[in-house]
Amino acid sequence: RDISESKVVGDYSKAGLLQTNGLSKSLNLESSLTVNKATLAISDSGHCTAEEAFASEDETEESSSLNTEEEDSENEEVIRKKFPKSSQVAGDQRLGSENLIGETSDVEDLLKEEEDYKEENDYSTETSGALKWKEDLSRKAAEAFLRQQQATPNLRKLIYGTVTEDNEE
Amino acid sequence: MATQAHSLSYAGCNFLRQRLVLSTLSGRPVKIRRIRARDDNPGLRDFEASFIRLLDKVTNGSRIEINQTGTTLYYQPGLLYGGSVEHDCNVLRSIGYYLESLLCLAPFMKHPLRIVLRGVTNDQVDPSVDVLKATALPLLKQFGIDGESFELKVVRRGMPPGGGGEVFFSCPVRKVLKPIQLTDPGKIKRIRGTAYSVRVSPQMANRIVDSARSILNKFIPDIYIYTDHMKGINSGKSPGFGLSLVAETTNGTFLSAELASNPQGQGAAVLPEDLGRNCAKLLLEEIYRGGCVDSTNQSLALLLMTLGQQDVSKVLLGPLSPYTIEFLRHLKSFFQIMFKIETKPCGEELKGGDKVLMTCVGVGFSNLSKTLK
Repeated sequence: RDISESKVVGDYSKAGLLQTNGLSKSLNLESSLTVNKATLAISDSGHCTAEEAFASEDETEESSSLNTEEEDSENEEVIRKKFPKSSQVAGDQRLGSENLIGETSDVEDLLKEEEDYKEENDYSTETSGALKWKEDLSRKAAEAFLRQQQATPNLRKLIYGTVTEDNEE
Repeated sequence: MATQAHSLSYAGCNFLRQRLVLSTLSGRPVKIRRIRARDDNPGLRDFEASFIRLLDKVTNGSRIEINQTGTTLYYQPGLLYGGSVEHDCNVLRSIGYYLESLLCLAPFMKHPLRIVLRGVTNDQVDPSVDVLKATALPLLKQFGIDGESFELKVVRRGMPPGGGGEVFFSCPVRKVLKPIQLTDPGKIKRIRGTAYSVRVSPQMANRIVDSARSILNKFIPDIYIYTDHMKGINSGKSPGFGLSLVAETTNGTFLSAELASNPQGQGAAVLPEDLGRNCAKLLLEEIYRGGCVDSTNQSLALLLMTLGQQDVSKVLLGPLSPYTIEFLRHLKSFFQIMFKIETKPCGEELKGGDKVLMTCVGVGFSNLSKTLK
């Protein structure tokens, strides 16, 4: 009996370990995701205008969303399994968190490198050709406003006379 | 300028109604000199005298001084009293001439106005009662003047020169007017109209309807033109016929046009077919001008915007009529209100003539009971 019980316990613990591994993995992924998102946000504010930047972000977002979906399903399974053995979970999570810190730092480094790469990409390709219409926007707006002012008759002046115009100024 | 703040002074007979109505609403006395001073027949005309008598009837404590020849008029307005009134309008002008001013004054009476007006209901000069009923009443409703007692009814129809028509108008009283934001006229949804004939063959109205439809049917299927043939004592004293058309848009704007036959014994006889076709073309012209208020009611809308609460009102108008332009100048001198006027060129979505966006802040109706200084 004892042997069988211990075996069972061992099995349980093994299963628990496996599951905790899964959990730690998912946790790692999650944390990396958050980091990923954060870096994305930074790069967004930097170069939100360039088209290619948008495209690449979209891709990464899509992939990350896929990841999250997968992880969510994994997490759910894990959690369902784990709930009856909460004590084990607590112990394993400590292990997992240790792993997690190590991995996240690696991921951050990777992402930083990616970020740098992206920025170079943005400056080299986008601003040179595609955004010429953005040049002198304020001057163009001023010209359009003056054109409009000259083209349309000043009804206010016609109706109320020139005296009122002087008063306003 | 100290005297101007007290009473306003004008010269000439033009825009008499505007000046007297604005004087009544603002409480500022008005002095009008040189009324047809160089004319062979100087002084006020009978229809103007009749209008002044009508003002005297609906107000309490007005002081009216007219000199011997009738070339100078001093009007110190009293309080708008209202109540049940009867008035025989002069047949030189139609009831619309009197009713236009009453529409401006009626919402500000002490007691709800219930008035019977007798005279000419349809003529070639002034907006007819039918058109005012179809366009001015919905406009007043936009400002929050509404209710069961709000009605305008043609009891008898009277054509010039004899007249003999009768109109009943009742209007509720409101403490405050709602500010309006009419900037999108929408698209024409339906066309309604009234073809009337009095003391002529009832077939005239049918001929008018057929010819008007021959033009309008090309544009929109939803057209209904009522034929109105009044008989006996309800048909007034003179023969005549005419047509009034009203186009309604999806956003509740009413654009109108009308034509009436020449009065008996004046000018050539008008064929009902021509009258119908011309009236339909006038309606198309009015639709081309467009805006959220049709050109006969521009000044009414601007007045009610001025007298609204201290809030921003906006209205998109078609090309301003000369009458409206003078009315704007008068609004400035009586109420110190200047409108912001923006021209909106006819772009992709705004078809037709150039539009004008009028914006103002109301003076606040509560100020009206006091004298504005």
